[in-house]
Amino acid sequence: MSGSAKGVALSGVAKWYGKVPAVRGLDLEVAPGEMVSLLGPSGCGKTTTLRMIAGLEAPDAGEIRIGGTRANEVPPWRRNIGMVFQSYALFPHKSVAENIGYGLVMRRLPRAEVAARVADAMRQVQLQGLDERVPSQLSGGQRQRVALARALVTRPDVLLFDEPLAALDRKLREQMQVEIRQLQRAVGITTIFVTHDQVEAMTLADRIVVMEGGRIVQSGTPGEIYERPGSHFVSDFIGMMNALRATVIGRAEDGGLRVRLEPGGRELAVAGPAGMAAGEGVELMLRPEKVRLNPPAGAGLIHVGGTVAHVVYLGAVTYLHVGTPDGLVIAMLPNAGGDAAAPRQGDAVTLGWRAADMVCFAPPRDA
Amino acid sequence: MTPRTGRRLLNAYVVVMMVFLALPIAIVIPSAFGEGGDLSFPPRGFSLKWFGAILERPELMAAAANSAAIALVATAVSLVVGTLSAVALRRYSFPGRGALMTLFMAPLVFPAIVLAAAIAMVLAPLGLIRTFQGLVLAHIVVVLPYVVRTVSATLAEVDRAWEEAALTLGASPWRGFRTITLPLLRPGLVAGATFSLIISFDEFTISLFLVGSGMMTLPIEMYNYAEFSLDPTLAAVSTLLILLTTLAVLAVERTVGLGKQFS
Repeated sequence: MSGSAKGVALSGVAKWYGKVPAVRGLDLEVAPGEMVSLLGPSGCGKTTTLRMIAGLEAPDAGEIRIGGTRANEVPPWRRNIGMVFQSYALFPHKSVAENIGYGLVMRRLPRAEVAARVADAMRQVQLQGLDERVPSQLSGGQRQRVALARALVTRPDVLLFDEPLAALDRKLREQMQVEIRQLQRAVGITTIFVTHDQVEAMTLADRIVVMEGGRIVQSGTPGEIYERPGSHFVSDFIGMMNALRATVIGRAEDGGLRVRLEPGGRELAVAGPAGMAAGEGVELMLRPEKVRLNPPAGAGLIHVGGTVAHVVYLGAVTYLHVGTPDGLVIAMLPNAGGDAAAPRQGDAVTLGWRAADMVCFAPPRDA
Repeated sequence: MTPRTGRRLLNAYVVVMMVFLALPIAIVIPSAFGEGGDLSFPPRGFSLKWFGAILERPELMAAAANSAAIALVATAVSLVVGTLSAVALRRYSFPGRGALMTLFMAPLVFPAIVLAAAIAMVLAPLGLIRTFQGLVLAHIVVVLPYVVRTVSATLAEVDRAWEEAALTLGASPWRGFRTITLPLLRPGLVAGATFSLIISFDEFTISLFLVGSGMMTLPIEMYNYAEFSLDPTLAAVSTLLILLTTLAVLAVERTVGLGKQFS
């Protein structure tokens, strides 16, 4: 089956709902066999984008190409796509086998071939023996599998998911994420899925496309997006972030920015975006796991003293909320030493981190 | 007033209302089995002869056949037109949608006599008075709102995602409608058809303006009959109609649930 995978390309795609822009000039290339996640908050245009690829919405501008061929005018039933809906959209009056076989019947395949391929698909998603059940008799995980089998059994060129795991509880969701990923690799199908859950995006995707306000704000591997966020929005949306307020005081010789932390007054050199002038406010973003507790002196770290204000023990890790002269800093500590090793509320601690681990952004305008 | 006496009063009120509503039926059914030649209550003796008497009244038999045929054709047409209308009104937005929805529901709230006069004025110049086709057209106007109503209510429960899933799986809109939407509309179609059949068969006011010698409906023939003789034949016809209606409603209740159509 692999080898038939087709790429998807969107160029300048826009969609308006009345006077409200949902998607504004989107350019996106998905390589054959790639698994891409459209990630963003609700209303960012990710679902509209997915529905335009499916053909369920028509773009107002731009071009959608599937396998190199313009698809704008191709109706959904001729696009040869598979789609898993958020609610699964299983046909309530049809059995599991009829649901899975629906696309094959629509393609007017001989009955024997439909039966054989349905049986194959059911084995693939471990639904053997449930042929005669109707959707209302299935558990959430089983419905998810039926939806997946139904979308894959027609051997589509592209597989689309709309928040496919949102309805499942956490344990099952994590299990299904792994299953979906393995199945996608095995089939080698080009896959695009929409989610607002960054963990889901990181677990499943080769590449994450972060969207905001109908535009793509960053695209990259999960590691790139997490370690080198390109904007304040992305750094804030993906994972947990400390945001330290600072003011630009000038340019450093290496091209970086000299900033002064507010309200502590400490001066630092950081890598920062071009075009920032002295006097402008910025935020220094710092991941909690980059912050070290009581580091040895002279390790080339920025050291900040403070008092533990709050301790959040989560089993695998503990989050320390530390009040410092430069503002609140959250540090994530691995709990290798057990639950007794972490400092307690009120303890005086020293925190340290590398200047290179901070990313500097202009704060969002409406903040 | 304690909650207890309040509850008792409510129970008593419900019983009184039920008796009031059911009383005519309770009187007409025993009357059909009486031996005497007048419509008296309580009936004297027991006999099935008035049911036999129906068969000897060709005008009643012919009118019943007409009414049945009109009800069947009007219902069949209404099911097709009503379903398509409901789909258009529910699934698409277009200019004038609200006005059209009101128009479809208008026959429900319009005084029947006004509607009757209006329909007669439209059909007369077309030469459709005293014709089967004319009566069918008029009855379609009357029953269509019920079909639109019941199908719309059911359509509201048909998830658009099911139809969209069908499209992504390779079904054209028409095949998707046939294989997904239509089967899921069955409860609304059954309920709509039942209402339509009963209401058309029972329709009086509008039919009165359109019938004539050679083309009578059962309710009007019964009315004519009652003007000359008030014998238990009418009670026997009524009893049969009550029986048929009850069976139809029971069948709908069993298969799709009538209560759902009014929620």
